Amino acid sequence: MGLSSTRAAELLARDGPNALSPPKQTPEIIKFLKQMVGGFSILLWIGAFLCWIAYGIQYSNNMSSSLDSVYLGAVLVLVVILTGIFAYYQEAKSTNIMSSFSKMIPQQALVIRDSEKKILPAEQLVVGDIVEIKGGDQIPADIRVLSCQGCRVDNSSLTGESEPQSRSSEFTHENPLETKNICFYSTTCLEGTATGMVINTGDRTVIGHIASLASGVGNEKTPIAIEIEHFVHIVAGVAISIGVLFFIIAVSMKYHVLDSIIFLIGIIVANVPEGLLATVTVTLSLTAKRMAKKNCLVKNLEAVETLGSTSIICSDKTGTLTQNRMTVAHLWFDHQIFMADTSENQSNQVFDQSSGTWASLSKVITLCNRAEFKPGQESVPIMKKVVVGDASETALLKFSEVILGDVMQIRKRNRKVAEIPFNSTNKFQLSIHETEDPGDRRFLLVMKGAPERILERCSTIMVHGQEQPLDESAAQAFHTAYMELGGLGERVLGFCHLYLPADKFPETYVFDTDAMNFPTSNLCFVGLLSMIDPPRSTVPDAVTKCRGAGIKVIMVTGDHPITAKAIAKSVGIISANSETVEDIANRLNIAVEQVNKWDAKAAVVTGMELKDMSPDQLDEILATYSEIVFARTSPQQKLIIVEGCQRQDAVVAVTGDGVNDSPALKKADIGIAMGIAGSDAAKNAADMVLLDDNFASIVTGVEEGRLIFDNLKKTIAYTLTKNIAELCPFLIYIIVGLPLPIGTITILFIDLGTDIIPSIALAYEKAESDIMNRKPRHKKKDRLVNMPLAVYSYLHIGLMQALGAFLVYFTVYAQEGFLPSSLINLRVEWEKDDVNDLEDSYGQEWTRYQRQYLEWTGYTAFFVGIMVQQIADLIIRKTRRNSIFQQGLFRNKVIWVGIASQIIIALILCYGLGSVTALSFTTLRPQYWFVAVPHAILIWVYDEMRKLFIRLYPGSWWDKNMYY
Amino acid sequence: MVIQKEKKSCGQVVEEWKEFVWNPRTHQFMGRTGTSWAFILLFYLVFYGFLTAMFSLTMWVMLQTVSDHTPKYQDRLATPGLMIRPKTENLDVIVNVSDTESWDQHVQKLNKFLEPYNDSIQAQKNDVCRPGRYYEQPDNGVLNYPKRACQFNRTQLGNCSGIGDPTHYGYSTGQPCVFIKMNRVINFYAGANQSMNVTCAGKRDEDAENLGNFVMFPANGNIDLMYFPYYGKKFHVNYTQPLVAVKFLNVTPNVEVNVECRINAANIATDDERDKFAGRVAFKLRINKT
Repeated sequence: MGLSSTRAAELLARDGPNALSPPKQTPEIIKFLKQMVGGFSILLWIGAFLCWIAYGIQYSNNMSSSLDSVYLGAVLVLVVILTGIFAYYQEAKSTNIMSSFSKMIPQQALVIRDSEKKILPAEQLVVGDIVEIKGGDQIPADIRVLSCQGCRVDNSSLTGESEPQSRSSEFTHENPLETKNICFYSTTCLEGTATGMVINTGDRTVIGHIASLASGVGNEKTPIAIEIEHFVHIVAGVAISIGVLFFIIAVSMKYHVLDSIIFLIGIIVANVPEGLLATVTVTLSLTAKRMAKKNCLVKNLEAVETLGSTSIICSDKTGTLTQNRMTVAHLWFDHQIFMADTSENQSNQVFDQSSGTWASLSKVITLCNRAEFKPGQESVPIMKKVVVGDASETALLKFSEVILGDVMQIRKRNRKVAEIPFNSTNKFQLSIHETEDPGDRRFLLVMKGAPERILERCSTIMVHGQEQPLDESAAQAFHTAYMELGGLGERVLGFCHLYLPADKFPETYVFDTDAMNFPTSNLCFVGLLSMIDPPRSTVPDAVTKCRGAGIKVIMVTGDHPITAKAIAKSVGIISANSETVEDIANRLNIAVEQVNKWDAKAAVVTGMELKDMSPDQLDEILATYSEIVFARTSPQQKLIIVEGCQRQDAVVAVTGDGVNDSPALKKADIGIAMGIAGSDAAKNAADMVLLDDNFASIVTGVEEGRLIFDNLKKTIAYTLTKNIAELCPFLIYIIVGLPLPIGTITILFIDLGTDIIPSIALAYEKAESDIMNRKPRHKKKDRLVNMPLAVYSYLHIGLMQALGAFLVYFTVYAQEGFLPSSLINLRVEWEKDDVNDLEDSYGQEWTRYQRQYLEWTGYTAFFVGIMVQQIADLIIRKTRRNSIFQQGLFRNKVIWVGIASQIIIALILCYGLGSVTALSFTTLRPQYWFVAVPHAILIWVYDEMRKLFIRLYPGSWWDKNMYY
Repeated sequence: MVIQKEKKSCGQVVEEWKEFVWNPRTHQFMGRTGTSWAFILLFYLVFYGFLTAMFSLTMWVMLQTVSDHTPKYQDRLATPGLMIRPKTENLDVIVNVSDTESWDQHVQKLNKFLEPYNDSIQAQKNDVCRPGRYYEQPDNGVLNYPKRACQFNRTQLGNCSGIGDPTHYGYSTGQPCVFIKMNRVINFYAGANQSMNVTCAGKRDEDAENLGNFVMFPANGNIDLMYFPYYGKKFHVNYTQPLVAVKFLNVTPNVEVNVECRINAANIATDDERDKFAGRVAFKLRINKT
């Protein structure tokens, strides 16, 4: 009868729509503002405010003071806002990919309301509604089953149980998760029908609770965010301490406070790599794009690098390591085990098919099977065809289709006259067929089921096509084979048949499956067949790669320990020669307790054992064994395992697909959701989505992540270097009193102009050596910006660059009439507006504007000097250890694009805008572009030397101090 | 609880710092052992020594490209600037007639400035040249041959010469002299072989009114060609820059007057918008009388 529409509307108003409330999103404006104050922005804000304060002081002294500092302040704010907008845009773009991904298809439900069946959007369901469900439907809310026929549900996304669960209207357990009369929201009904009453909707459903639990698990900072913060701290520390130091020096040198403030601004601007954070964002998103091509969709840009520093991967088994479909793996007939092809297309079935037993077995397999291909898939390859039926029947259907050809035709020729489907009490399935041989009038009874049950019903066994009595030795052979196949973690089925004698069962005989008016014992045993969900073919390689890369792969599965161990062995998670404690005990024939657990490398821990363990014991297991499989674990235990790994200081990647995995995904340093099998909740909680559900894709992701970490190091080293060349002019200006060598605006043109594309280009650099052959970086020891990097960039290359740029500057001044010696302490006179006859080294006199123009030419010269040497810097940063010539000068084409961009931007600034004096660029004589070239060459040669010594003397003093 | 925790960590921080400064176990000072420090110091000594040498070398090579007597480029000095003496702050010539101190400093400066122009010194060091033509002194094969300079005698400045002048260049009477000079530019043939002179005027109409009459020495504000070209400080040692003195006779007192003087010469543009001192000079004149 159901609820009335009005009542339903009332309830809907009270409880809200039946949908999970989406995870709380940070408001866009907050995200935007965060970009505005994050990183170096604060320093630049300070710089801008200092500018305005300086102008304020100036203005109060002299009403007609120039607006230069106001402009500079405005430019600095503009820089902050532009880089902020840029970072925000990048971030938003990458989130958009995800949100489009997580859009749900609106779900429909069949509801009885006002005594009528109606189809409504599932969102409008309310408590008390009566809904009808049939096979294939998604359960629209938490439902108590009122009546049902053969209803089975897939609860895997909730509980992790991969087996279909049958439902009935009886209450069987106190725990709602265990009882049989409740179906859960977002699970699927596999077969049968059910009618039920909605008992919970929306966030109050069991799934809703878990989802809200996931959002409760705190979001930890990503390793790269920590690294960048660390780096910002270093640079800001350097900037502020040098700034304050020189402010004090300037004041004590009797400089005007106003001037000292302007020095301070210059020092801050010179020290802050304005373009760097934007570059990092671009670099990360480039990698994210590259990873997306390799089936890793990254939700959070920073997760790109996290994957690279991963030291433990907790992987699901089903679907990630395996193909997620049952496949025939072994056959046993004629007292012999045959192997079947379990690869993705199964095209290569090589076992002996000439035996008469195989002919019988294949007939049983084909006929005693209810699974069918969905119609209309003629052109689809067999393995990809959609099948109606359970996993093992599907496996058998496809297996026989591959070997025998059109199974449907065979079934048609052998018409089915009676059938008993599989049920859990008798544990077999049986059907009776007419045979296709027109000369044979007998009926054929075929049966399959649990091997021991099948064997019980047999009195003979078929060997080489001949029926033989089932004697003791044959039974023994059967048991050996059964044990062996079971030991491989495979699901074993037994097959038998019987030709019913034509005299007792004439063609007109009516079979009654309830009365069982036909024999079900003394049958003829034909063979065994075992099935497994086989590993993906790319996984063993990927696991080996992980091992080489120092990454521990832990399998966490809800499956049976034996199956789990078998799969672990076949993919290499447990390597061929390592044993568990139990294995050793078996081999030595001693009790498990007597085994020295240090001898064992591998461990299989079940959920039951885990439940009784203290955190310390878990830690011990995680630390002791290098190869671990957790079997029969509940999804909740996954969270415990992740926490255990994190206590080992590991960066943990976790894969998951179910809703119940979401807390673990959230807790992990990087949560990886499955794109195909994954639920939306899992995808929401994850940092990354694996589009093909393939473990091997994770490994390619790790490789990219490591590469990006190395390349970011190079980018930062490249960017930091020129900071010294930008800073030195200010220091020299304050202390020695030279006319200012480079202006603040000019510095911004380097940081945000010529340097941007080259530093992004470094992201395209190939790895120097096999990055998958080294240990994952230690998150506390292997910093992105370490001491050698800072020292080498600042005090070695940076200083050389400063000298080179000063050379260009001195050249310009000397050739115009001011020899270097005359510049010392010239600053005060030089900058006086009323001195219009300043004498140079040759006795000529200069007006203020003439000097100003020369100063701008000096800026341009210094700028060009830095730019030319940054080309050399860019080239040397391609590698950290190898020679440039080993790496290949031309392999990374983007670097050359970067160099070209550098030169073109400088040319435009110098010759295109040379007349725009607002930017303080002037047209520079062409020869000045080459003055710094010797210093550029020196930089290259010096760095080649550094790398040479590092390669020659690994571990030496030089290596320790010079390798960044 | 929380406070205790912080205190502990605070102590730990101090402890860590202590250990960083001097670690007795590893004998490390600031994270390095003695040998390591020695290596580092040695390295930087050598490295920076090398860098200094390298920089010095490149600087030396660069200095070889510039000559001693003429700068390599003079593109910025195409138009010489004009400047006034006394050199005052913001080029404001303010004279409080009654307040001796206000102008005495100007007078002192002028005395000093004009000393080399004394006739005796000029006669002793410099040549008498033929007026109206450039005094060219080619090297004639002798490289960087020292150049002679032409006389510019202080007496040429007439009433502004300050010789035996009780009015101190007119500053004590409110009729001050201001001296105009043109910036030296090497090898610059000012006037392009035609005569040139300096003229002064009020910047705006009211300035012109307030400015009143003035006289110029040498007459007409002429600058003779014989003082050009200039050969540079090193080889043209006693070069005496020609001057034009302007004596303002009846400036309206207690008013700020904007005066602009410019040179009228065929090859000196005086209309550069950016450089306010190219071929001209603007200054403020204010005579305060009670």
